[in-house]
Amino acid sequence: MNVFEEVKKALCKANPGLDESKVVPSALLKDDLDIDSLDLVEIAMSLEDVFNLTLPEDEMENITTVGDIVSVIEARLKVKSG
Amino acid sequence: MANRVVVTGYGAVTPLGLNVKDTWRNLIAGVSGVGYISLFDTTDFKVKIAAEVKDFDPAVHLDPTTARRNDRFAQLALVAGMQAIDAAGLKVDDANKYDIGVLIGSGVGGLDSLAQQLDILKTRGPSRVSPFLVPMMIADSASSQVSIKMGIRGPNFGLISACATGTDVLGVAYRLIKWGEIKAVVVGGADAAVTPVGLAGFAQAGALSRNSEPQKASRPFDMERDGFVVGEGAAVLVLESLDYAKSRGANIIAEIIGYGATSDAFHITQPLENGEAAAKAIELALAGVEPDEVGYINAHGTSTPLNDASETKAIKKAFGDKAYEIPISSVKSMLGHMMGAAGAIEAIVCCKVINEGVIPPTVNLEHPDPECDLDYVPNVARKADVRIAISNSFGFGGHNSVVAIGRYDGQ
Repeated sequence: MNVFEEVKKALCKANPGLDESKVVPSALLKDDLDIDSLDLVEIAMSLEDVFNLTLPEDEMENITTVGDIVSVIEARLKVKSG
Repeated sequence: MANRVVVTGYGAVTPLGLNVKDTWRNLIAGVSGVGYISLFDTTDFKVKIAAEVKDFDPAVHLDPTTARRNDRFAQLALVAGMQAIDAAGLKVDDANKYDIGVLIGSGVGGLDSLAQQLDILKTRGPSRVSPFLVPMMIADSASSQVSIKMGIRGPNFGLISACATGTDVLGVAYRLIKWGEIKAVVVGGADAAVTPVGLAGFAQAGALSRNSEPQKASRPFDMERDGFVVGEGAAVLVLESLDYAKSRGANIIAEIIGYGATSDAFHITQPLENGEAAAKAIELALAGVEPDEVGYINAHGTSTPLNDASETKAIKKAFGDKAYEIPISSVKSMLGHMMGAAGAIEAIVCCKVINEGVIPPTVNLEHPDPECDLDYVPNVARKADVRIAISNSFGFGGHNSVVAIGRYDGQ
């Protein structure tokens, strides 16, 4: 499963009006994509289901870009498999 | 110095139409908005009927994010609120944004959102509960969302008094404007209780009609009435001080001329049988108005055996023999009971009656009840020249609220 593609899907589901082309790793969640803290909780919940893992709240707090979400998931996946 | 308070616009989403125009047209034609419930599966339910808002697609009226993040009750309120503000030609800008408030009440708030998340809590645990649950379920979310959408920075609150909510919001807004606390208020009520737990709750409380013919079930003042029909929807008005309305050249629809509120102090679901506290609310609303001048009473008229009898007594107590000469009608016979929105849509109906000279009927009035022997405008709309109308709203909990609305005289 491509982590970035799944993250993109979850972001677009949270913000239905979102222009997909704006979803790039460097995009700022709040300023570029209009995704607020409540959306982020929902996005985290849906990604936890997709990847079957838990995303710790303290790590989610530091997320500001799309790339940050991808990194956190990739790190958790490594921990799971390693 | 008391300000005069006027209505400059309104909007509504009801079981008889997605706007006031369609709703009014259907009311005058005696059309019923009651039918079999389509919003959920009623297989195990004793009561299978309700007055639903038909064909409401939030995506048509609201942007996707707003639609997604709001319970149905707030979605309905937003649409009605936008209609009202548009109809009033009220432009919110930096000069006036703190001079306008929002006061939209609800009986049960985001009940369905709460019910859905309770299911998730039970089956999937707390970490799967939606982060949007709280903002969606709290009963003030309708009021807040209108404030957010329209950039209105004056005070905004929800107000809760069960079935009297829609009249109490008008009374409170009237007083705020009258006493110069604020220039204008976007005011109304909304409820969307046609949900499994909502229907179950009202049915178990013994409040609902068990009539198997949906369109005959809501029959206020009729001998065979057996309970109300749950309705849903939203109705919003713009109230402002006469001076403010004139200063911006607003079109003035009607004037709020009085408001009275009392409590039965009796029982949480049953009204006080002799109607004496309700009669007092009528008298308070009519302070400064001769009872003779009232040309129409929009009844609470829920079609419950108890309300319709006690309301009749209250009207007789307040008006004496004159009660027999005043046309009375209950639009709940067609709209069902729109709960928190009822008082607000009924105030809009009073404005229409005053301006269009037609009184909507009480439909399904086929078997006279000796306890309800007043003129309830049975079955057919009636032309009438009405200068002053009152609207009664009586709620679970013993609320008695009455608003008096008058023709604006051009001064």
